[in-house]
Amino acid sequence: MIEVDHLVKRFGAVTAVDGLSFTVRPGHVTGFLGPNGAGKTTTMRVILGLDAPTAGSATVNGQSYTALVRPLRQVGTLLDATALHGGRSAVAHVASIARSNGIGRRRVAEVLQLTGLEAVANRRVKGFSLGMKQRLGIAVALLGDPQVLMFDEPVNGLDTEGIAWIRQLLKALAADGRTILVSSHLMSEMAQTADRLIVIGRGRLIADTTTAELIESSTRRDVMVRSPRAAELAELIGARRATVKREEDGALAVAGLDAAAIGDLAAEHGIAVHALIPRTASLEEAYMDLTGESVDFRAARPQAALEGAASR
Amino acid sequence: MTAQVPVAVRARDVLACEWIKLRSLRSTYWTLLIAVVTPIAISALAAVALAGPPAHHGPPPDPLEPGLLSLEYAVLSVGVLGVTVFSTEYGTGLIRTTFAAMPRRRAVLAAKAAVVAAVTLVAGEAVAFASFGLAQAVLSGKHLGVSLSQPGVPGAVLANGLLLFAVAMIAVGLGAIVRDTAGGISAYVGVIFLPAIVALLLHAPWGARVGRFTLVYAARQVSELHPATNLFSPAWSMLVLLAWPAAVLLIAAVTITRRDA
Repeated sequence: MIEVDHLVKRFGAVTAVDGLSFTVRPGHVTGFLGPNGAGKTTTMRVILGLDAPTAGSATVNGQSYTALVRPLRQVGTLLDATALHGGRSAVAHVASIARSNGIGRRRVAEVLQLTGLEAVANRRVKGFSLGMKQRLGIAVALLGDPQVLMFDEPVNGLDTEGIAWIRQLLKALAADGRTILVSSHLMSEMAQTADRLIVIGRGRLIADTTTAELIESSTRRDVMVRSPRAAELAELIGARRATVKREEDGALAVAGLDAAAIGDLAAEHGIAVHALIPRTASLEEAYMDLTGESVDFRAARPQAALEGAASR
Repeated sequence: MTAQVPVAVRARDVLACEWIKLRSLRSTYWTLLIAVVTPIAISALAAVALAGPPAHHGPPPDPLEPGLLSLEYAVLSVGVLGVTVFSTEYGTGLIRTTFAAMPRRRAVLAAKAAVVAAVTLVAGEAVAFASFGLAQAVLSGKHLGVSLSQPGVPGAVLANGLLLFAVAMIAVGLGAIVRDTAGGISAYVGVIFLPAIVALLLHAPWGARVGRFTLVYAARQVSELHPATNLFSPAWSMLVLLAWPAAVLLIAAVTITRRDA
């Protein structure tokens, strides 16, 4: 179990984490979601005792991380897969870390085999692809067979096969009753992997819920209606306490009344309907709605950027 | 579940980890090879020069001078070795993996210092005695040599070998403080040579008054057969020689837990 309690972390004038509280429980893959710069990595570093909190606290299994004896046997982490000394072989890298927590050579060989790295174990890691480095980082995280695992953006740089492998691994670890926290800035990725989600933006908690609930509650649903007598129809729908918006191309976007009710209403008044399409916003759109306010550095709309370039 | 691990076992684990790290890098062997072989060669050359006709009318040359010269050269390569044990981990981000595995950061500092100490003590003494043997073989042909059986000689050679250990400890500490290879090596060169250069430029008697506190002067005092009379005694100079690394490691021990990794 990971508990973060009213955590604040400031770097000079910048507040990276701003009063964040959440609990990660065993038996689930919990997604830690937020735009770049939301404070995910900082939160993980504070949990690991690497960064000191400005206020609040973070504990693992009820203890401060720095108080853990042989911490790798309780918590496995992958923070940055590229954080390696290029001149060291994969096996020497893993063996050195294993030794620091009294973990033997046999387990080193096991995790290298589990991550599919035994064939390259004696090669120096400077020649490794990002995907191989991710696997190496996961091998280190698994060393102590820990009950709590934390991965920061583990699918970055992985190919399709690698991503599928990680997903299966995470689910298997959670099914084992372990506590899994996985960060990502991609909602679509998390929707397929995580069954619980902690969403943060600008260091603050936005949502702490199950993936299914989040999708349900934050998804926009409406019905697109086209009709030659759109204005009339809009009035009728408005009278039923549904909201109607007129879109640029003259179509109506109706929220609060389903397609069948709109069709019946139109038929009742003899209004022709040319299109009646129920719409749901994609998950990615739902996520952008949720975090839209909290994105630090927003790019200009691609269209606007192109127009600007053309007029110059 | 693993709370009952004795402190001694934990210390051994941290030491073993850092030992694996040090010996799994080719650069360790290269820097050590350079630190050992080149100074021995230089001391042979210096002995040949010393055995030749004196270039100026001054006090007779110290017969242990060649060994000393050669070690000052090795100071640079063990400096790189010492600085990089921390600076490369900070540079790559590996330090976070290290501290996540071993949250007691001072234990990591102690272990890194200990493995580098072991290696540089052996290397330093090997260089000191090999250089001594080689140089004296050259000098004895001219009846200038001294032997290890002479009083004061074994101590001076042993003390000479300690120089590499002392500067390597300064390097490890500076690597942990500065956290960057280029900056760490610059700081290292500055800490070791700058005070001595300042002392060299001062007018008498201030040169000696300041100089006796510098590492370079102290290293000379402890390893010469005829130490200078206007500096600290060899015993006090040994204290100066060890105080420098002690001070730097102390600062590193304080800063290492205060800053975010």
